Amino acid sequence: MKNFTYAAPRNVADAVRLAGQPDARFIAGGTDLLNLMKDGAQSHGAIIDINGLALGDIVQRNGVIRIGALARMSDVAAHPAVRRSLPVVSEALLNSASPQIRNMAAVGGNVLQRTRCGYFRDSGTTCNKKAPGSGCPALEGENRGHAVLGGSDHCIAVHPSDLAVALLAVDAVVLTDRRRIPFADFHVVPGTTPDQETVLGHGELITGFEIPVTPLAARSRYLKLRDRATFEFAVVAVAAALNMRGNTVRDVRLTFGGVATKPWRSPEAEDALRGKPLTTTTITEAGRALVRGAVTRDHNAFKVDLVQRALDGLLRDLGGVR
Amino acid sequence: MTVGQPVERVDGRAKVTGDARYAADRTLPGMLYSYLVMGTIARGRVTSVDTAAARAVPGVVEVFTHENAPRLTSDQHFMPLQGTQIHYNGQIVAITVATTPEQAQEAAELVRVTYAPETPKAVIADALTEVYLPANQEVIVGDPTAGLAAAEVTVTQNYSSPPHHHNPIEPHATVAQWDGDHLTVHETSQGVVNAQRTFASAFAIPQTNVRVLAPYLGGGFGGKSPVWPHSLLNAAIARQLGRPAKMVLTRAQMYSIVSHRAEFRQQVTLGAKRDGTLTALVHLSTQQLSRTSENMYSHSISSRMLYACPNIHTRQQGVRLDVPTSRFMRSPQMASHFGLETALDELSYQLGIDPVELRRRNYTDVNPTTGERFSSRFLLDCYKLGADAFGWSRRNPKPGSTRDGHEFVGWGMATEAHDHNANPSSAMVRMAADGTVLSQTATQDIGTGTYTVFTQVVADALGVPLNQVKVELGDTNFPPAALSAGSGTIASVTGAVNAAALAVRTAVVQLAVSNPASPLHGLPAEQIITQHGYLFSPDRSRRESYRAVMARHGAPVQNTSSMTNARGYSTGAVFVEVRVDPRYGRVRVTRGVGAYDAGRVMNHKTAGSQVIGGFTWGIGNALMEHTVLDRRTARVVNPNLSTYLLAVNADVPDIQAIFVNKPDPVSTALGARGFGETPITGVPAAIGNAIFHATGRRIRDLPFTQDKLL
Repeated sequence: MKNFTYAAPRNVADAVRLAGQPDARFIAGGTDLLNLMKDGAQSHGAIIDINGLALGDIVQRNGVIRIGALARMSDVAAHPAVRRSLPVVSEALLNSASPQIRNMAAVGGNVLQRTRCGYFRDSGTTCNKKAPGSGCPALEGENRGHAVLGGSDHCIAVHPSDLAVALLAVDAVVLTDRRRIPFADFHVVPGTTPDQETVLGHGELITGFEIPVTPLAARSRYLKLRDRATFEFAVVAVAAALNMRGNTVRDVRLTFGGVATKPWRSPEAEDALRGKPLTTTTITEAGRALVRGAVTRDHNAFKVDLVQRALDGLLRDLGGVR
Repeated sequence: MTVGQPVERVDGRAKVTGDARYAADRTLPGMLYSYLVMGTIARGRVTSVDTAAARAVPGVVEVFTHENAPRLTSDQHFMPLQGTQIHYNGQIVAITVATTPEQAQEAAELVRVTYAPETPKAVIADALTEVYLPANQEVIVGDPTAGLAAAEVTVTQNYSSPPHHHNPIEPHATVAQWDGDHLTVHETSQGVVNAQRTFASAFAIPQTNVRVLAPYLGGGFGGKSPVWPHSLLNAAIARQLGRPAKMVLTRAQMYSIVSHRAEFRQQVTLGAKRDGTLTALVHLSTQQLSRTSENMYSHSISSRMLYACPNIHTRQQGVRLDVPTSRFMRSPQMASHFGLETALDELSYQLGIDPVELRRRNYTDVNPTTGERFSSRFLLDCYKLGADAFGWSRRNPKPGSTRDGHEFVGWGMATEAHDHNANPSSAMVRMAADGTVLSQTATQDIGTGTYTVFTQVVADALGVPLNQVKVELGDTNFPPAALSAGSGTIASVTGAVNAAALAVRTAVVQLAVSNPASPLHGLPAEQIITQHGYLFSPDRSRRESYRAVMARHGAPVQNTSSMTNARGYSTGAVFVEVRVDPRYGRVRVTRGVGAYDAGRVMNHKTAGSQVIGGFTWGIGNALMEHTVLDRRTARVVNPNLSTYLLAVNADVPDIQAIFVNKPDPVSTALGARGFGETPITGVPAAIGNAIFHATGRRIRDLPFTQDKLL
């Protein structure tokens, strides 16, 4: 582990200035960054501790819930306004990590956590995310956990955040020290630059998230399937928000985790439902639309089936379809 | 009597307050820190190692490669850093030594190794044509061919399981300090006496020159039984540099240099009469071997010892791959047991005989391989106690017959069985002049309750309260005793502890009855009762405390005793309920009952904890646990507890543990047998059998992940 400098600024301006140093990184909960540094998967010359910034509040005002970047996962999950108006966000958080980690981890860092791809985390293995151009062993290697959507010949690593999938389903906006970024534009697919995971600039600080309170978001739910009951990343996850008029789908958001290289929204699947009745047929068609562009590898083809089953199960539960 | 009672752990407070000092907690003046550099190819040669950048890191004292590492040999293991040859991925290719662990790690990250790689073989499927039968790995009893010919029903199925890693929560650690040609090592060791022998042999010094300490262990599961090459290298480095040296392995490093459970394939053929009586049992297996060892550790003991079958054939084949050498890992017989107990379930459906009844019909009091009678076996009681507690008689055998909401409910069972070690052991018990008691023996508490049980044994033998007894373990300065492996600690060492305590009692009683100053003077020694820290006359009208007798005597009374015990075989029956959501292939284990014959139960709390622990490991083994190897590089892809999945609390239901609790008459350990490994063995098969009952789907490849149930 390389030596690094440590600073604990008291305001956003100082934090952003300090983070302008090359090789600097913000730290909040540290639940991912410290692992990466200890494992040698990532190293930084300067660590900027932002826990002293006043960015931990959760407030509802003028039809918008604003969640500070330093709010802890456990606090957001338990917040009455979140539970009432954004159930999918609370559920996604409670399905994440363990209580100990949720008590430590900040939501701003959560959406920036790095993939759990074993090749990425192993300092003894090549990886295009770590060293662009060095090669991706997952393409032909062990890829049971890898993406079937949004991959490229350079990277098929899955984005691990549950919260990000939920935020995408409720039309969140990312607030930074310098701009507002619609959540849908925040993460990027790997393409030829898998080391780039978001549109954040160097030293740009997430200060929080804004989420509109809508009838759509109020009827939302998260389903996470994984290989053990808890403390485990998604094999497949689905977030759904549904606004019905009678038996007709007035509006819908369908976003997915565990299957894609970034938090994945499927407009095609939504279009298969919007303005139509919620039936076995339309749900099946939504699932098909979701996976139409899926690319499978040696060990992850089951995800194409499983994600459709998850979508089917979740929509039936949420929509009351038998 | 405290033996048998659910006495709380005597070391619990030390562990939760941090008073318990583990190997990695040892920090010595002037100590250096060693850090390993692990290779990144599985087969080939090291062509060069560039250490310039590593040496430039402040605090770095030395960087060892194959060119300058201390020369060492091991009669047990392939010794890295002695040449350029690479035999497995993650082999030690360099060691950095610095004044802080961070410096040593930073230097290690800067060592540049270049290789001449060759294509490795990573999994059994890569080398099917190279499968062979090592010496002494085939057992034939009776005439299996004739037995199969005489069968009215036959089942033949193939089963497979992946490699597994031990993953004790305490990482391996070693701290070595030399004083001339005397070596002291704080080692995460399941056997300090064995470790002492290994260090002495490696450095060609007398065994008495080596002291090994392991007072506490955070688990081991077999992985801490041998002394691995990294510990010998660390000690050699300490000697060469003239300073104490500490090495603590990272979690990832523990996936290549401290062994694992081998990848395993097996074919089980059962022949039976219509009434369920077995006529033949043929068990063929293939396990992964390494380039440097053909030792194998996943043995087909269950097929040879568990059921009445006149014709048995076990054949344990191996195949050499470019992977590390495997070793014993928690319940090594579990791998083959899974095949046998699943095949029996399959046979029960073919015959239309209840799985418990099928096992009862093949029950035996004699070892079917040797014809010898078991000294004690209450397996039939286990079937009855377990089945009754579980409610097995209410089971509708038809697969898919029970549904609750979205989920199918299934009930499955399996026999559990594992043999245990018994190694000659000795122990010292000393009563001090103030009446307090100290017992020392060079065995270990691997985390299962040895401190507690020996405290009970000594307290009972002497008739003193538990808090008057202190037990010390894990130091080769104590009388030599057994390795804590193969479920053998209690079975091996209890007899010696008890004998030493009884000898001390006899001596103290003699001091009392022979001294005119004692109220017990003149009474026959054999009639004296000892209880609650007192010596009583037979009618309890006269008494004197141990403390008073010892104070008058003015000197300690001490005895060291030795004892041997017989190996044994502890069995049981496990019953599980699963719920399977067919929409997602999701399996939950919702109920577990186990009934066991472990001889006398020394402590119902710690023994019950063994059952909970075993069941928990079994759930993990069944549903999630596996090491993922990249087939092209033979490198572990999931070397951490984030992606090497083990069961967590939410995966584990309430588990009911029931004990027959009848002493084994031949056991010198107060009738106790070794037990630790038994309650894992049947759980994976029982869960698989329950999944079949729930869904009609039979999965024969572990683990039963949801993709296999869609």
